[in-house]
Amino acid sequence: MAKQYDVVVIGSGVVGSSIAFHLSEGGQKEILVIDKDYPLSGTSGSTQAWVWVHNKTPSWYGELSMLSAELYPFLERKIGDVEYKRTGGIAPFFNESDRESALRLAEKQAEVGIEIDVLTRDQVLEKEPALSPNIAGATFSKIDGNVNPFRLVELYIRAAKKNRVQFSFYNPVIDIKRDKGIFEITTKKEVFRAKQLVLAAGPWTKGVGKLLGVDIPVKQVRGQILVTEPLAPLIKHTIGGMRQADNGEVLIGYSKEEVGYDRRTTLDVIQDTAKMAVEYLPDLAKANIVRCFAGVRVIPNDGQPILGEIPTIDNAYVAVMHSGITLSPLVGTVMTELLIQGETSIDCDKLRLDRFSEFKSYV
Amino acid sequence: MDASTIVCKCEEINIAEIELAIKSGANTFDDIKRLTRCGMGPCQAKICTNLVRQIISESLEVPLSEIRPPRLRMPLKPTRISALVGNEVSSSVISVFSESAPQEDDENHG
Repeated sequence: MAKQYDVVVIGSGVVGSSIAFHLSEGGQKEILVIDKDYPLSGTSGSTQAWVWVHNKTPSWYGELSMLSAELYPFLERKIGDVEYKRTGGIAPFFNESDRESALRLAEKQAEVGIEIDVLTRDQVLEKEPALSPNIAGATFSKIDGNVNPFRLVELYIRAAKKNRVQFSFYNPVIDIKRDKGIFEITTKKEVFRAKQLVLAAGPWTKGVGKLLGVDIPVKQVRGQILVTEPLAPLIKHTIGGMRQADNGEVLIGYSKEEVGYDRRTTLDVIQDTAKMAVEYLPDLAKANIVRCFAGVRVIPNDGQPILGEIPTIDNAYVAVMHSGITLSPLVGTVMTELLIQGETSIDCDKLRLDRFSEFKSYV
Repeated sequence: MDASTIVCKCEEINIAEIELAIKSGANTFDDIKRLTRCGMGPCQAKICTNLVRQIISESLEVPLSEIRPPRLRMPLKPTRISALVGNEVSSSVISVFSESAPQEDDENHG
């Protein structure tokens, strides 16, 4: 007889692990997390891990990001040091003509409580003297920061295990059936049964959704990142495009390519990224790159998170979003409310799967 | 060998740390790397690849030949960002023609 759980979460990245951890805090549910590989082998392990808020639009999306960023210090009290640093975020612009749209952004975000300063060149250089004098200005907010993604996912899992959550790694899901309201999940290693099922497989949610008979409207986007050798402290803030880690290495990159699940690095994007690095921080020209890496990210077709019930299947849920690192504390909290109480403390209607006109369910 | 023996010199990771990562379920070099930083330093696993593969092989009792090496990425060795940008001022790549063609004010040529 297959082992039965109250909840099975598919995907052990930052989103799935956070949901499992937050669910386990109540101690009422038997929970299993299944991953086709090992935690951090996918998107969560190939990111700069900004906790980025200030220019997330529309402003209600910015607000969600802000609420999640606000949860990070509390999360660290619970799961341990994930090297969360609220560094403040700077998004530079190079043309004075961009100032007007920067001011409009600041005005919009202020409506939901996100404080943005639109800085002059001198103000930017005062904050970050290493930035290029060619910069015309920047948007700045104190709320942005970054986190160590490896520590974050590892500690979510460690805390969940402490609360008796089970994990099954290197174990792809092959089939999902429903039998009298219970999900029967066939994996490479064994069969599991679940009363509630959560799809949190990032870019791979599309394939898992298909097993369930629903089309999750997301696409895969590749991002490539350069890693420098450890450098003396160069930048203090998270800068739109780069950040410096605790060990001194600078992570650089902001690229989006729709190439499916291909996670190779390519010389053209590496060179464009190197150019961006020097345009922002001229001193980086002298720094050595030790590695480049690429990750496959997920972007819902309209850019906003998909969170909540799968409307056509009772007790099936989905949690898939581009900014899983930023949103994971909030998503874990909200999904726990939804799975246990059936409703959420904040309004998540805009995140529903059936907002998509192209949403298709074959069941 | 002692459990405190360093396998990754760049990040100073020892055998015990690799074994702990394997114990928490990591089965591949890359999965161990993300837990421990083993192989993430300047040499990019050139030194520790086979040492770690051996530990995996012994811990999981799987033949060494079945343990995959880490994913290799550009650059092969640390490379200056200015070189990637490709606009370094002093280039030693020159034109064969301009090296030999007489200049206008070059009276002694020949």
